[in-house]
This record gives sequence, structure tokens and C-alpha cells, in this order.
Amino acid sequence: MTEEALRAVDVRKTYHTRGAPAVEALRGVSLSLRKGERISLLGRNGAGKTTFLRIASTLLVPTSGTVEVFGHDVVGHPEQVRPLVAVVPQEGKPFFHLTPREQIYAYLRARGIDRESARARVDEALAQMGIQEVADRLSITLSGGQKQRAMVATIIATEAPLLFLDEPTIGMDPFARRGVWDSLRRLTNKGCTVLLTTHYLDEAEALSQRLYVVEGGRVLVEGTADAIKQQVGGTLKVSIPNGAALREELSTFGQIVSDGGTVYVITGPERINEIMSLAMKDRLAATVGPVTLEEAFLQIVGRSIDQDEG
Amino acid sequence: MAFTLRWTGMTTFLATETRVQLHEWLAIGTGSLVQAALLVFVWVLDPTLLPLTVIGAMVYSVFLIGQRVLNEAAYIRIDHKLNELYHASPMSPESYFLGMSMGILIAYTPPLVVLFVILEFLYPMSLAAVGMLILALLAVWAFSSSLGYYISTLFTDMKTIWPYSSLLTNLFGIVPPVFFPLSLLTEHVAWAWVPALLVPTSSATALVEAVAGMPEMGGLTTTQYLVAGGSLALEAALMLLFGIYWARRTAREA
Repeated sequence: MTEEALRAVDVRKTYHTRGAPAVEALRGVSLSLRKGERISLLGRNGAGKTTFLRIASTLLVPTSGTVEVFGHDVVGHPEQVRPLVAVVPQEGKPFFHLTPREQIYAYLRARGIDRESARARVDEALAQMGIQEVADRLSITLSGGQKQRAMVATIIATEAPLLFLDEPTIGMDPFARRGVWDSLRRLTNKGCTVLLTTHYLDEAEALSQRLYVVEGGRVLVEGTADAIKQQVGGTLKVSIPNGAALREELSTFGQIVSDGGTVYVITGPERINEIMSLAMKDRLAATVGPVTLEEAFLQIVGRSIDQDEG
Repeated sequence: MAFTLRWTGMTTFLATETRVQLHEWLAIGTGSLVQAALLVFVWVLDPTLLPLTVIGAMVYSVFLIGQRVLNEAAYIRIDHKLNELYHASPMSPESYFLGMSMGILIAYTPPLVVLFVILEFLYPMSLAAVGMLILALLAVWAFSSSLGYYISTLFTDMKTIWPYSSLLTNLFGIVPPVFFPLSLLTEHVAWAWVPALLVPTSSATALVEAVAGMPEMGGLTTTQYLVAGGSLALEAALMLLFGIYWARRTAREA
């Protein structure tokens, strides 16, 4: 197998539905994953994340472009790609009339994994997802979060070389989410590669070595969380409630974002003292904090929307 | 592309489906209610037709398995998206389709066994007739499962599917001579045997009844045997091949 787990070049997908205008879901996505990486795709609803995941996992044919998984073309040779991948579909649910243990075991056996290994992996996956206590209850009796954990457990138990997870932690409590993160880290340490989509930006930041921000079917930005945060003009954010009157003066220190009556200045550490002095002079409170990935995401995607609308 | 079948994962998926279906034991039970009701009606109205109606009930029950495939395949795909787990795996699409169809067949076998015991009690059949019964039921299963799987892939909403399921059941199970003898139809419309024997459910019923030598059925001429046997075998084989082709095609959306 090559060291490149996934390589996508200029992938485009247009959906044609009878009686409705064509929808360009992907407009030239190119990205690559090295073996052992954990990568997140970020984007608004309808940005094209799921479409890309479905193409890469052989479930959907692209309109044009190429996707290779460990050197195998997903369109030309899907049967060579399928043993190498496993997918948690968005809003997927386990068989309601199987227990999580039965579901995971049956799926592993269907993938051709021998009985003994399958049994061992089932126990391990159940433990990693923290659902041993409900492992022998029918899935229909589980909570939404437990069902989702059963789905993720089914996929991580495969230890497939390339895992696609479409919003894997949706509906999970913070403890369960961290359980998923730990499991994915463990898998990539073993050599598996993970591509996931998520709307939880803390999750993307904690888990991913690199991120791709997708909007309107295109990759807007690619890089580490820190690099993406740098792109908004600084690493620190000064919040000044009721600071609208200072907006013009503050704009000389960095980028300004207004939210209600609060003015935020995105800037570097070297300008903090000047901004604080200005705020104090007007007897305004000011707090300093790091720029979050969410803020960077909102800015980057917001800029793109403005450009498209402009 | 060579039409080579790949069986990876089929037996496991078959076992999975059987297990899932057996958990829904109530559906298996209620799936026999129409047949049971018709048997009671016939028993009250004309008990001499009862063995023939039992054969019709068996054919109808097997046809319903196909409708169960329709609902299960659609439910797994639309509601659970589990098809994506299996299609993005080494398990072949034909294993997915056939595993599901056979799994449901196995789960729904107990009511068939009950009907067979009743039939043997009412009208002990020769070995040849039993063989014909098994072959005919398998042909109906192949036709109906493939049709059900195909239709399941055409819709994106469960509610849209239900009327089609009901339409097919009536079109193939109630309207043609499945629960009543072919002779009743031809008494009124002489040529009606042609379309009746082209429909897989009624051709299956007529073949079994004729081979079993049921007097109420009136027997089949050589031509009628050929039409019934030929159409049933051809329709079942073609539909099964189409089902496998369609399973492969729809494992990946265009």
C-alpha cells in the first residue's frame, strides 16, 4: 500500500433531479491524506462534505475528477477499495432488533474477519465506546447517543486502513465524544487513517492534525487549526462590550467584528496593551482571549459567502 | 463485465437478517392473517376447495416475502443507512441482496411449514407434487424478492413505498387465480388461462395443483403445462438475474 491513504484531484459532483435545477455539490475539491493522519472536513450544512465522503467511500460516482484510496481508483476499481475502507454514515442507526454486540460481530464477520478476532474486537470496541453495560440489549431500547456509539463501535472494530466518519459524535454527551476521540487516536497510532466531518469545532481542533474548510463545494482553506486561526489576522481576541463608539479607533489595531453591542478586535499580542489602554480611557471593560477555531471558521466562510453574494 | 457472482459475507448477512426478522415475530404471525381468513371462508363455503386454497395460501405467503424484502431493503436504506456500511465493505452487493432475501425466506418458513402440514392432512401429495411445490415456491420467491428489492431502490421515502407494496400484493396474490381454481376463471372467459398462466403466482399454483392431480382444478393441457412452466421458470430466472444486476448497480449512486 502507498503512504498516501487518499488523494482527490478536482472532484466535481452535480446532482440532477427531475423537475429541479441541477445542484453543484462539489466544484473541484482536491485534497490528500497521508497514512495515519486524522483529518477533518469542516463546512456549513450543504457545503459538500458528505458528498465527498460518499464518493471517496465508493458509494457515489463523481461527475468528474479522480479519487484514489491507497492508489486504487474509487470509480474504476471499487472492489479493491471497499476492503480498505469503513464508513459511519450521517444519521445512520444500528439494526434495532440486534444488540450492539450482535451488530458489531455480524458486521465484522460479513467483512470476512474470522470468529476469534471478531469476538475480541467486539469486546474492545464496546469497551472503547463505553457501552459494555448495554451491549446485550436490543438497540431499539438504547438512547440516541448509545445508538450512535454502537454505530461508531461497529466501524472502529473493523480497523480498516481508512475510516470515514460523517458527524460521528452527533447526539453524544461530552464523555462519550471524548471516548470516540481516544479511540480514533488509538486507531491512527496503529496506522489507520481517519477522515471525518463534524460541526463541533472543538472536536475538529482536538482531534485533527489538519483541517479542510469547505464551502459551496470548494476547499477554502487547508492547514492545522493554528494556521487556520492565523488567517483571520491574529491569534488573540479582545472583547469590548458597548465599545461601538471606539470602532474606528480600534480598527487600526486589527480586524473588527461586531456582535450586538460588543466589539471584538482580532489582533496579535504586541497590540494588546494599546487596546486595553484605549478601552480603560473610556472606562470600558475589555477581556482578552485566544481566537477560537469557530471564530476563524465563521470569518473564513463568512468572507466566502460575502464574495459569492457580491 | 463478466457476470461472476461474489459471495463474500452472504451467509453472515443471511443469518443477520434471519435474526432481525425473528425478533419481529409478530409481523411473521400477522403476515399469515389474510391466508388464514381465506382458508376459513373457503372451509365454510366449499370445503372441497380447501386443499387448493392451502396451496394458494403457500404461494401467496411466499410472494409476501418479496414484499417484506421491499420494505426491509427500503427501511435499512432510508431509515438506518446501514446499506452504506455494507456497500462500503468487502461484502458484495449480490451477497447483500441475496442474503437479505434468503434471510427473510428462512424467517418466514414456519408459517409455510404449518400450511404444508395442513395440506398433507387434507390432501396427501405424491413426492413429485411435493417437489413441484418446492420448485414453484422457490421460483415465486426469486421473482418476488427481486421485484421487491428493485422497487425498494426507487424511492426515498417509506410512505411512498407502502401503496406500491399493497398494489403488488393484490395484483399478484388476489386478482389472479391463486386462491381459487383456474377452471373457475376459464368457465367464464375461455382464453383467460393465457394471462393467468403468465403471472408467476397463478402459474405456480396451477402447476402444483395439476401435478398433485387435484380434481377441482380440472388439470392442464400440455400447452398449458408448457406455458405455465416456461413462463414461471423464465420470469423467475430473468428477474433474479435482474435483481443481482440491480443490486450491483445501486450499490453506488450515479
